[in-house]
Amino acid sequence: MAQTKLNDVTKVFTEDDGNEIVAVDEVSIDIDDGEFLVLVGPSGCGKSTTLRMVAGLESISSGEISLDDRVINDIPAKNRDIAMVFQSYALYPHMTVRENMSFGLEESTDMPDDEIDERVEETAEMMGIEELLDRKPGELSGGQQQRVALGRAIVRDPSVFLMDEPLSNLDAKLRAEMRTELQRLQEELDTTTVYVTHDQTEAMTMGDRVAILNDGTLQQVGTPLDCYHRPANLFVAGFVGEPSMNFIDTDLHSEADETILQADLFDYSISDEIATKVSDSSDPVLGIRPEDIGISEDPPSDKHDVAATIDVIEPMGDENIVYLQFDSEDSSREAESIIATIGGMRQFESGQTVTAHIPEDAIHLFHGETGEALHNRRLETAESQAPQL
Amino acid sequence: MSEETLSAGQSTDDERVLDRISLTQAGLYTSLVGLVLFYLVPVQSGFVTSIKTSDALINTQPFAPPGPNGATLESWEFAFNALSQGLINSLLFTVPATVLCAVLGSMAAYGLTLVNWRGQVAVFVLFIAGIFIPYQAVIVPLTQFWSQYAMLDHRLGLILSSHHATILELIITHTAYGIPICTLLFRSQYKTMSWEMIEAARLDGASVWRIYRRIVLPLSIPMFAVVFIFQFTQIWNEFLFSLTIIGSVNDSAASATLILSGLGEALEGVDYPLRMAGALITAIPTLIVYLLFADKFAEGVRV
Repeated sequence: MAQTKLNDVTKVFTEDDGNEIVAVDEVSIDIDDGEFLVLVGPSGCGKSTTLRMVAGLESISSGEISLDDRVINDIPAKNRDIAMVFQSYALYPHMTVRENMSFGLEESTDMPDDEIDERVEETAEMMGIEELLDRKPGELSGGQQQRVALGRAIVRDPSVFLMDEPLSNLDAKLRAEMRTELQRLQEELDTTTVYVTHDQTEAMTMGDRVAILNDGTLQQVGTPLDCYHRPANLFVAGFVGEPSMNFIDTDLHSEADETILQADLFDYSISDEIATKVSDSSDPVLGIRPEDIGISEDPPSDKHDVAATIDVIEPMGDENIVYLQFDSEDSSREAESIIATIGGMRQFESGQTVTAHIPEDAIHLFHGETGEALHNRRLETAESQAPQL
Repeated sequence: MSEETLSAGQSTDDERVLDRISLTQAGLYTSLVGLVLFYLVPVQSGFVTSIKTSDALINTQPFAPPGPNGATLESWEFAFNALSQGLINSLLFTVPATVLCAVLGSMAAYGLTLVNWRGQVAVFVLFIAGIFIPYQAVIVPLTQFWSQYAMLDHRLGLILSSHHATILELIITHTAYGIPICTLLFRSQYKTMSWEMIEAARLDGASVWRIYRRIVLPLSIPMFAVVFIFQFTQIWNEFLFSLTIIGSVNDSAASATLILSGLGEALEGVDYPLRMAGALITAIPTLIVYLLFADKFAEGVRV
């Protein structure tokens, strides 16, 4: 159990031809004792490299990593008291499950054999793999190997767990089960855990906090809901959530009595309060989550209503994913489309003309150049708002 | 109605399939028998020749067995007596050199593949270059090195008799020459090992040596079988180093191959039964090694 601190951690790889590639750029994260932190981002964003630096498998180009105020930059991996679960499980194929699990204790401690045996049995019981102890990894299914890999990490009782996409080799159903189980285990053990994934569902559901990385730079660290409702920038807003947030490029126009965001195919008026926040950018990006868009068959009546045509409907059972196209008077322009999700019981047909309601409470606005969030949705109305049927 | 026509159609199909199978099988077995004959006739000729008396040798075909009157074990007895010291000498340097080559080659390959350090590619290139140095190019410097600089028989005179010193020279020479190819063989296997597994062991607290001892070594046993067979055969059959380092057939350190080269040669002509018996005796150890490691060898070749 330990507090882990990353302070301006940077990793620069030098290619054979002398080119330098910055894989991780000044990442700073404080991970609390017992916290479950998920590092998430698209592939190649530097999340695995960050994890490997914490593990000691990769040297740190600059910056500091400390465990309980002890800088561990120069401590070799084997002395860091860190256990890692790999994507490929990395079990030792010539050893039985029991030998796999006791290997770490034999190598890193002076524990007598009978105590090691006892701990291995205890952990195996906790993981539900006690009948597998005398089998070899080759005889186990993927899910069982996954459990052994976790057990091998847990049995050592390390100060930090590192997990590098541990569930990505499992089928969807097993993955969902293991997700819950991992969370339960982590809560029970209360060991600091850093979990790397590219899957935003895993990030949202498992982490106490989520750290989102893109191109080696840290975008935002926060609770999953914080990142969902108050994204720091365009990247986070687009990465978190499925289907992802709709983005519409607009131009800011101030008229006598109101401020208008002019999109290619419609105008959207905003209140003065929001208008002052976006005054920095002349071309802010309007963001709206699919579930916040209301659809009705009535003609537009509100200033935040836009006429649209339904292009495609994907029924999911509990909800319908609707692809809307805004009608273009000018046929030379490409029709802009956004995605809305509506209740699964509602009936629409593709080709139908409807009215899309984009509530002002739910909009996000981002700086046109930097992508920084200028305005996030209001949360107090989110709960009170009745689901739009 | 339709069933009948169907079944009728099937039976002719089956016959055709049968025809085709028997044709391909006939072809297959014919070629297999051909291959067996091709490989076994020389061995068989060698064997029957080795048990022929000189009369039978002249009067029978080379591959035909001698009649009951023409058979004798005299050549075998003679060859065995002539070769026994050579066989012992050969074993004395072949076994240690083979084991050393395999162990050192495996360690070198581990250090060059699964441990990360600067400049390992350059070192590996040196190893590879070692494979391509022709024996002929080193004969002169090698004999000079042993006889003028190392002088093991002189320096270790108190512990080793001179013929054991020569054997030690052969062990060192063969080991040095065998390491590069063994390293290459082991490296090709280690490159396919999971890097994550090695990292897992590092995080489990194992040192570089312990990872080798407990993870890499047990996983390379099939490759050890390949290297044992390959290296044993190479060193056992090697002639040039024996000729230059030992020098004379009459030396008490003379190897089996060296003695074999002169066996049965005389002014009156070549004693074929004796030569054949000698060749067969000398080949036996390599056969034994192959039989011992055959299972693992098959596994290792698949890697």
